[in-house]
Amino acid sequence: MIKKLVTGMVMTMFIATQVMADYIVIVPQKPGGGTSVWTDIVMKEMRKYLDDDIVIRHIPGARDMQGFNKWHNEMRDDDTIIMVSHGGNGVSFLQENVDYDYSEYESIGLMNLNIIAGKIKGQDMADGVKFAGGSGMVPEGLAMTMLLCGPDKTIAQYVTCFKENVIWVKGMSGGERRLAFKRGELNATRENPAAYKKHVSSNDNAEVWFHHGILQADGSHADDQNHPGYQFEVLFEERWGVVPSGELYDAYKLVKSFRDGLQKAIWVNKGNPNADKLREALRQVATNPESVAAIVAAVGHYDWVIGEEGDAHVETLMGFITEAALKTLVRFNAEAFGINSVYKAHLIEE
Amino acid sequence: METYLTMLLLGIAYGFFVGLIPVAGATVGLIAIYAFVGYFTDPYMLVVFTTAVVVSSSIGDSFAGVVMNIPGAGGSAATMVDGFPMSRRGEAARALSAAISTSWVNGLIWGLLVFLFLPYYTQIVLYFGVKEMFAFLIFAVTSVAFMSSKYWFRGILALIAGVLVGLIGEDPVTAANRWTFDIAYLGDGIQMIPVMAGVLAFPELISAYRMRAEKIYLDNAKIKSQLIQGIKDSWKYKWDGLRGGFIGGFIGLIPGIGGSIADWFAYSQTVAASKPEENVGKGHVRGVIGCEGANNAQKATSYVPTILFGIPGAPFEVIVMGLLMYVGLEMGTPAVLEDAKFFDYLLSSYMWSLMIIMPVAYLFIKYAVKITTIPFKYYFWPILASLIWSCTQYTGLAEDYMIFAACCVVGIILKYIKFSRVSFLIGFILSARLEKSWVQFDTFGYTVSDLFTGWLSALFIVFAIIAAIWGMFYNKAKIDFV
Repeated sequence: MIKKLVTGMVMTMFIATQVMADYIVIVPQKPGGGTSVWTDIVMKEMRKYLDDDIVIRHIPGARDMQGFNKWHNEMRDDDTIIMVSHGGNGVSFLQENVDYDYSEYESIGLMNLNIIAGKIKGQDMADGVKFAGGSGMVPEGLAMTMLLCGPDKTIAQYVTCFKENVIWVKGMSGGERRLAFKRGELNATRENPAAYKKHVSSNDNAEVWFHHGILQADGSHADDQNHPGYQFEVLFEERWGVVPSGELYDAYKLVKSFRDGLQKAIWVNKGNPNADKLREALRQVATNPESVAAIVAAVGHYDWVIGEEGDAHVETLMGFITEAALKTLVRFNAEAFGINSVYKAHLIEE
Repeated sequence: METYLTMLLLGIAYGFFVGLIPVAGATVGLIAIYAFVGYFTDPYMLVVFTTAVVVSSSIGDSFAGVVMNIPGAGGSAATMVDGFPMSRRGEAARALSAAISTSWVNGLIWGLLVFLFLPYYTQIVLYFGVKEMFAFLIFAVTSVAFMSSKYWFRGILALIAGVLVGLIGEDPVTAANRWTFDIAYLGDGIQMIPVMAGVLAFPELISAYRMRAEKIYLDNAKIKSQLIQGIKDSWKYKWDGLRGGFIGGFIGLIPGIGGSIADWFAYSQTVAASKPEENVGKGHVRGVIGCEGANNAQKATSYVPTILFGIPGAPFEVIVMGLLMYVGLEMGTPAVLEDAKFFDYLLSSYMWSLMIIMPVAYLFIKYAVKITTIPFKYYFWPILASLIWSCTQYTGLAEDYMIFAACCVVGIILKYIKFSRVSFLIGFILSARLEKSWVQFDTFGYTVSDLFTGWLSALFIVFAIIAAIWGMFYNKAKIDFV
């Protein structure tokens, strides 16, 4: 009986896992998540310009690191397997033990987004901030600390100031966070542009607090014309009379650039012979008004950085990595947010 | 119009089929739609199709529990506790009829309440804050914790084991992996479906492999009589069904509680309300009715936060939202909230699905009960294949298989040493949710006394105290399922 059971099980597994496709796109997230929806929509448009079919495969788990690691370790040598990543992967790359490494891939294309922080209308945040925290919110935590506490402080002073001014509420899902902000339990929140429009702009009791700006090719951040005058650097200078600088600011620039600059990205392994074909298909997507309209309707209007420009974009990001910035990031994570993160010395050596 | 009708009928057929697949349910069924979502050229076709899938899968998932002792989905596991013993006694048609009637009536009531008065629920959803959520979870935990078997001490140990397994994954305070043994796969914790399939379903499958088929032959007259009896039972125990519906409806309305708790919570209240001599938990129709009320009601009300705020009220709504976004319908946006056609199609497809699925489900009972007369070994492999398929929809990687295999081993051990698998499952379902709720409660700086400053949180705490007193001193009902 045991033999029959085992034979039957193996056959059943074999039949249950057969998939055929020309291209497989790995998404490190469950179906229905933000990046999954983005991938569905972008791939739907890309299919129109490729002769081949594209199948999306979700490999979620481990805060979306597992799928990327699997692709890096086991799949990227296959020229038909493409990777899609999101900003959270960029943050994890800096502060967690992950296998993937952006310097080893070719960029097909990426979308450089901005994250916007909203607050309860008319509220003076110097009176205290209640914000849903988590590892994905580190750039917001750093920005609000500098806005509230001002320039020229040591990291220890910033940590103390953060703890005095911010209630960093952990354990909230995106949905819980949005509801808590709507009912005023949280007095600040953050969203990507499309979600901000839906969940914050539509709320009569909310307004923009700050945003991070949009990463430029030269490494600077430009103001977001959807919310002009609310970029962190602009608000900081208005409030404190000097431009932001120092260790904490360097750590902030590093982590916000990796998260927002790689908010949605498509990768193949270096030397993949299909890269040019895929880039060309994406260029057609980015220039066809109908395709652009379909993507804008779902995720908002953001420019594509395609092909070699994407590779240059990654180079720019890698330039932000310094020993001091990484160490400050890890220290502030641990002491202020209580997040367990690791200092990755090998990133400096690269 | 013909296209929409075709979509409706296809959705009903597909949803009912998915509901019949052990442990699959609406979420897994909806995920599979991604493979052919590109064929939906008209977004409203997809609205009709997904709604039909949700409604009909809720009705279909009662069958596996009653006939095969395997949960049809996460939200219908409790049905098997009383449903299967009834089936073994030759009352499968009665149990199924009672389950379908109750599920259908609650689906109708809560569907009408949701879709006709949708905008009015905004304030209810917004009123339910961190404090209220924590108090409600305390009430839920207290209620289900006393749902014990005769092996009560082993039940407590199983509950603790379930809690510990549920805590594997990301620590919500440090965002670090906890008890994952450096296995990246475990970073997001162990998923619900393999636990359900491995701990609850697989041991039953193995037992049934050696089980002889029932000799009780149900002819058409007996089936008809049981069908009528099941409907009468639903009326007789209507308050159990309606209470279950209220619990399910409430849980669906509030994002973050988690739908899987609804049927066990409703079931625990039925056990509490029953008399010991009724033997709820050992194959009484009241047990079937009590939990089935929650099933469809929860599905209906979870549409409220999804549509109004774009915040999914249940796991399957995440998939619905993603699918609809693919065709340009973004929940929670003014574009959808002002789209009369969207609401027309949603309401009509919901109601028509309910109307069509009821006779289909009743007719299917006639064939489903025949399964009890067929030796289990003939459908062992298809069921095992469906369990594996459901469990590997998460990543499709080898780890999915390994976790399922590990859960199967745990399930067999628990069953063999008579540690309540129900308690294990309840501990697993509640632990991560309760921990996150506690972390939120604590970081906001609330204390126990704050629970009594709001009327709703105070009410839940009072209910929790009553449930604890009842459980400790008056609870005589024991369920047989271990």
